[in-house]
Order: sequence, then C-alpha cells, then structure tokens
Amino acid sequence: MFRTIVGVDIGNSTTEASLATIGPDGSVDYVGAALTRTTGIKGTVKNVDGVAKAVTWALEAAGMQLADLDLILLNEATPVISGLAMETITETIITESTMIGHDPRTPGGKGLGVGTIVDFETLADAEPGEPVIVLVAKGVDFDLTARTINAAVDRGVDVTGAILCNDDAVLVANRLNTKIPIIDEVSRVDLVPKGMVAAVEVAGPGQSIRTLSNAYGLATIFGLDSEQTKVVSPVARALTGNRSAVVVRTPSGDVEDRTIPAGSLDLVGVQKKATVDVSRGAAEIMAEVQRVSPLVDVMGEAGTNTGGMIANVRQSMADLSNHALADVRIGDLLAIDTAVPQEVRGGVAGEVALENAVALAAMVRTKESGMKAVAEAVTSHLRGLGATKVDVAVGGVEAEMAVLGALTTPGTDKPLVVLDLGGGSTDAAVIETNDDIDATHLAGAGDLVTKLIDAELGLDNLELAEEIKRCPLGKAESFFHVRLENGTVQFFETPLPPTAFARVVALGENGMNPIPTRHSLDRIRTVRRTAKERVFVVNALRALRSVAPGGDLRRIGFVVLLGGCALDFEIPELIADAVAPFGIVCGTGNVRGTEGPRNAVASGLVASYVASHAPAEPQVGARA
Amino acid sequence: MTVSTNTQDGQRAISFKEVGRAERGKRSDEVVLAISPAFATLFSKTIVDLPHAEVIRQVLAGIEEQEVTARIIRLQHSADLALMAHTAAKLSGSGIGIGILARGTAMIHQRDLPRLSSLELFPQSPLLTLETYRSIGSNAAQYAKGESPEPVPTLNDQMARPRWQAKAALLHLKETELVRKGAPTVEVVPEFSAASV
Repeated sequence: MFRTIVGVDIGNSTTEASLATIGPDGSVDYVGAALTRTTGIKGTVKNVDGVAKAVTWALEAAGMQLADLDLILLNEATPVISGLAMETITETIITESTMIGHDPRTPGGKGLGVGTIVDFETLADAEPGEPVIVLVAKGVDFDLTARTINAAVDRGVDVTGAILCNDDAVLVANRLNTKIPIIDEVSRVDLVPKGMVAAVEVAGPGQSIRTLSNAYGLATIFGLDSEQTKVVSPVARALTGNRSAVVVRTPSGDVEDRTIPAGSLDLVGVQKKATVDVSRGAAEIMAEVQRVSPLVDVMGEAGTNTGGMIANVRQSMADLSNHALADVRIGDLLAIDTAVPQEVRGGVAGEVALENAVALAAMVRTKESGMKAVAEAVTSHLRGLGATKVDVAVGGVEAEMAVLGALTTPGTDKPLVVLDLGGGSTDAAVIETNDDIDATHLAGAGDLVTKLIDAELGLDNLELAEEIKRCPLGKAESFFHVRLENGTVQFFETPLPPTAFARVVALGENGMNPIPTRHSLDRIRTVRRTAKERVFVVNALRALRSVAPGGDLRRIGFVVLLGGCALDFEIPELIADAVAPFGIVCGTGNVRGTEGPRNAVASGLVASYVASHAPAEPQVGARA
Repeated sequence: MTVSTNTQDGQRAISFKEVGRAERGKRSDEVVLAISPAFATLFSKTIVDLPHAEVIRQVLAGIEEQEVTARIIRLQHSADLALMAHTAAKLSGSGIGIGILARGTAMIHQRDLPRLSSLELFPQSPLLTLETYRSIGSNAAQYAKGESPEPVPTLNDQMARPRWQAKAALLHLKETELVRKGAPTVEVVPEFSAASV
C-alpha cells in the first residue's frame, strides 16, 4: 500500500512535522519537514492550530495536497511540566547611615580626608583649624559650593572632603584651590548624620580605595580597639573594589550582612527523606536531592520564603495542567546559586549589593496527557480543511521516538543517549545494545537560563534576557565597526543604527539588538556562560548519571544533543567539554543527516510506524 | 577647558567672543557645541525663558563633570539644527557634537551619521529644563569617551505643539533673518558677566 504519513511532535515551544511517503514495498521516503510555534500549552486542544499549520507547510514544501494525506502520528507528550522560582537569601543592611559605598561614575579630587561632618549652610560658622567634611544638599550650584569652600579654607578652616547630592564632584574639584576628595550623587544626603567624624576617600581613575576598604585602615582613622574593629570589618568588606567611599563613625552604626531565614525544603524520596535549609545554598540542596532520589514530592516549610516559592510553583502547575493542587507532585528539583543585584536597605545613595539567591526549577509529573483529545480535534479540524481521508493516531512515547530519530544521525550507534535540551525540562533517554529504552526528565533548561541572566544582570526584561542567551555579543565601537566578543572586528559598509552606537549589542539573525545597561561586554558574557553551565552542564551530568548503565558514564558510547537549545552557539560545546573526560562522543544531532537537532521525534514517529506495520522490513531498531 | 562661569550671585549674562574660523579639533576628548546665529545675540533666552547663559553653563558643566573638554562654534550661514549639530560633530576631535538653537531645541550628533539622523534629539524646546541641558552635555561627553550612557529622559507633551508652535515659528523666523549666506563658521569663547537686568 502506498501511504502518505506525517509525524508531528508537539513540544513546549515548537511543533514539528516530518512528512514521508511509504512505498508499496515498505520503503520510506522523507519528502518534507516543517516547524512552527506551538499554540497553547502542550497537550491541550489549543495545539490544533499549530499542528494544522505544520502539517500544511510540510505538504506545501513537498508539493502535495491535504487530500493526499492518509495518517498523522502524534507523540505521547512527556508528562512533565516545569516551573521556576527565585528567592534572595542574604541581605545587606546599613544602620544609622554609617557608610556610603556607591560608586558614582565621576567622583572628584583624590585622596583621603577625615573630619567632622558639617552642613553646607553652617560651614561659614566653622572654627578655623577644625577638620571638617562638607555636606551639600541638592540644588546648591557648583560655583557657589566651590566659592564657599574656598572662602572657608581661606579663613583657615581645614576642609578635608565633601559629600554632594548633585553630580558635581569634578566641577567643584576643578574650582577649588586645594584638592580634596569629593563624592557626589548621594541621593539621600539628608540621612547622613551631621556632627559625626567621617572619612572620605577617592582613588585615582582605574584604581580602588585602599584605606576605607581595610579594617585596620578604619581602625587607624577612628582609633578603634580590637572589639570595635571586629564590628566595622563588614563595612570595610562592603567597600572593597569601590573607587570612592564615605564611612561615618556613629555610636552604634553597623553594616549587617545577614542571612534571611529562607526556610527549609522537605525532600521526600521513594525510600529516604531529607530536610535541607535553603540558605545553605544550591550545592547542599542538590547533594540531598541526589541522596534521596528518585523524588516523590518536595514540600517547603510553611510560612517561609521557601514555602511561598514552592506553593507558587505548585499553584502555577496546577493551573497549567488542570490538576487538583493535591495531585501536583514535584518529581525533580534543580537548585542554582545566583547573585542578584539588590538595593541596600538603609543606604543613602541607592547603593546596590550583590545578594545571594537560590533559583529553583521544579518538574511535575502530570497524571495523563490530553493527547487523545488533541488527536480527535486535529482529525475534525483537518477533515474540515479538505484532508478527507486523514486519520490521526497517537504514535508513541516521546522519549522513545526521540531515540529512534536520533539514531538516524550519521555516525551514531547503540548504546546511545539522547539529551533533549528544551525550554522547560532537560530530558534524557538511553537505548542500550539490546534495544531497551529508558528515559528520565529533569527540571531546569532554557527558561531557567533566561531567568538567571535576567536576574543577575538586573534587566527585568525576559525578552532581552532571551536575546542575550541566544546571540553572541559585540560592542559597536563606531558606526562602521563592531568589536566581537572574541576580540575580532567586523566592519560594515553602511552605518549602524544610531541606537546601537557605543553600546553592547546582541548579534541576532535579524540585525543587532542594543542592550541598554551599563554592564560591560565581558560581564554580560560571563553571566551568560555561567548561567548555561550551571543549568545545562549540571543537568547533562545528572541526566547521564541517571540513565547510564550502572550509573557509569564510561559505559555510554554516544550522546546526541537534541532540542532547541542544541542549536545554541555554545551549549553543545560546554556539554561536550564536560563529558569528554568520560570518553563519550558528544555532539549536536543531525536527524536523517539533514535536519540538524530538530525533527527527531517527528521522524522517530514515522520510523516506528513503518517498522511496526511492515514486518517484512528489517527492524530499524524500534520496539513499538 | 575649565570655563570660568564664576560671576557672583544673581543672573548671569553671556556673550561670545569670536576667536577665528572654526577648525577641526585634534583632541579625541572633546565635544564641540554649535550655537545658532541668534543665540545670545538677538535673543538671550529660550522659548520658555531659560537664560542662554544658564543653558550654556549647564551643557559645559555636564561635559566638564565627565572630564571631557568643550569647544563652542557659531554657525552664521544656517539655523538648521541638524546641519549645526553635524557640523559640530565633523569639527570635533571625538566625532561628537551638540547643536542648540536660540529657542532651545537641541541635538547630539556623531560625524559618521547621515546629517538628518542623530544620536539623541530633543525636539520639544518648551519641555527642556536646565537639568536636561546638563544631561545633554554629560551624555555627549560620555559618547565621546566611548561609553554607553542611558539616553537623556525627556518629556513628551501632546499639547506642546498647539501651544508653542506659533511662538516657535516666530522665533525661528527671527533667527533665520540673521542667517548670512556664505558667512564662515567661527569658533567662539563664552564670556559670562553679571546680568544688567
């Protein structure tokens, strides 16, 4: 019988179709493939539009009509969905405005000044010979500031430094007769305590302060004993790396670097249980997860941040999958340490500190997928469009189909592991020499990387974070050239858009996207690469350990990377580097030698169907 | 150049002294500011009565705060903002120039851009404040240093057009009357003095 069939893979983000004709002798001829966005949530009737589009496109590419179509094979979607949450676990609090540790871009003057803080208005009353630091409120003109300070110095007042609210430090410094360190852009200048002894330090361009960031330096300036030095050491630490800083000595002021009681996670495994405090960080959480795995469920301590976080994930997944809240069970958890820029509580200049945070990705097993309903809806929809003789069947389990599709990559052989790097979850399936197939699903994939990039760069813009994740970076150094992240230069004939000028840009397929932040190219690149490493390399190793025969990575011969993230420009090489020590051949799949890492499941569906319906054919490794 | 703007309290007035033809700068750490024929000559205030002296002072302060130097040129043959800013950019050692019209409209330009493009444009002169002028100077200087400043936040007022268009048109007319065909672009030095109000 001569049949036209389409394998359709409905994924979390894309729907892929693979069109094949089967000859009378059972020979398979792949004639078309198509890819489109998944409509609605995977496994729901809303998928129909995406399926119809993919099928129609595949037929068009092959020059066929809907009426020619005999059979559509859908995948039994992996019954997992995943959710994300993030919570900071440390915070920095400055009490009594003891320090100003923000980094204005243009401090003025240079050096270290120690003195009593006086208001600008009362500078005229200051006694000659007394060391003072002037505090200038917003709205005072730089000429007036400079003139008043000069006049005070002429009277013999020892003005040793200045703290300004306006961005005027260089302007004032240029107009002073004596050079003093000046810090500006201190937005809440009214909160700085007056009448206290303070120290102002400004370092030269490209350097960082030495005295105020050194606990013993502070002890020397303020004459502290050993106990007091212990108390101020967090202040010194908080100022490390700044070009300028102010430290005020107040009776009980302090900088606290405290750990927020984040709550604990109850991990319930099949045989073991564990409770782990989230504030101990990702490494300990993951060690516990591994110890109790396979996980049955995870609970967060009620009334804590962690409890709220887990409850959020649970609720959003219950909504997604239409399950009762009680039926949502977390089957895997990935915790990642991250550092999020947060405004310091009690700061007077909008200081920002990098706080530790933990990101959690959780995966939930859903009870059943709605693929049967989708199949019925697709049948009626396509018949309505003119595909009169079409049938729709649920063709096979996603992981098994992916393995079959991956095996069509040239140069592979069993035992083979497929790593499907998707948006929500990382899925792994192994086919052993005796054709046994085993699969595992892990929480954390592309979406988590996007979220990490977003949080660590403080973007608050997931689309931009996604762009940063996908594309290499460059810096537009002029209108005609871009310095790429590997140090080489690319020239252009026509001028670049004005919005890209002097900015770090993401070099996407459709031109450049300027990244509107002050982060340097190097910093963005580091954040991007470490986010990918912390999610994909960690998950790849976790996945391989759980599917490898006997848990021994050395017994895996081939690893084929599939899924959208396998198309990434650096994730495959990061994973390949990580598994190379185990003697594993690892690379991006090339399904049927033409499709790259796409279309594996769709092709596997066709292959599996042919194998089970044409027994005369030699088995292609399916056990449908 | 640290411009001495140090006149004692009260309103400042500004005048510009010609020091010769405008030449192309060689320093890569400079921003060139172009002013129009009527700037601080026929007019002494912008459309919303900001004194020209303060406008220039804030732009120069913004540039100086970034530790970049500034030069000022005056165009005599045109009052076209894009041409002014582009001329300034082409004469600037860093390739960054600013143009300001007598009524206050401003623009940051770069020499490699097409003339009618710009890095940042501030088209609604009635909405520009002295803080905006400070930020314009500051941003231009940061572009000159190869940094990536956030564009200056500006207001947009739908009513600005109907409300101010007539006045803007009159001011522009007066300004263009001072245009002298073929007159060279000259470099000028600002001189601040106490206002004689």
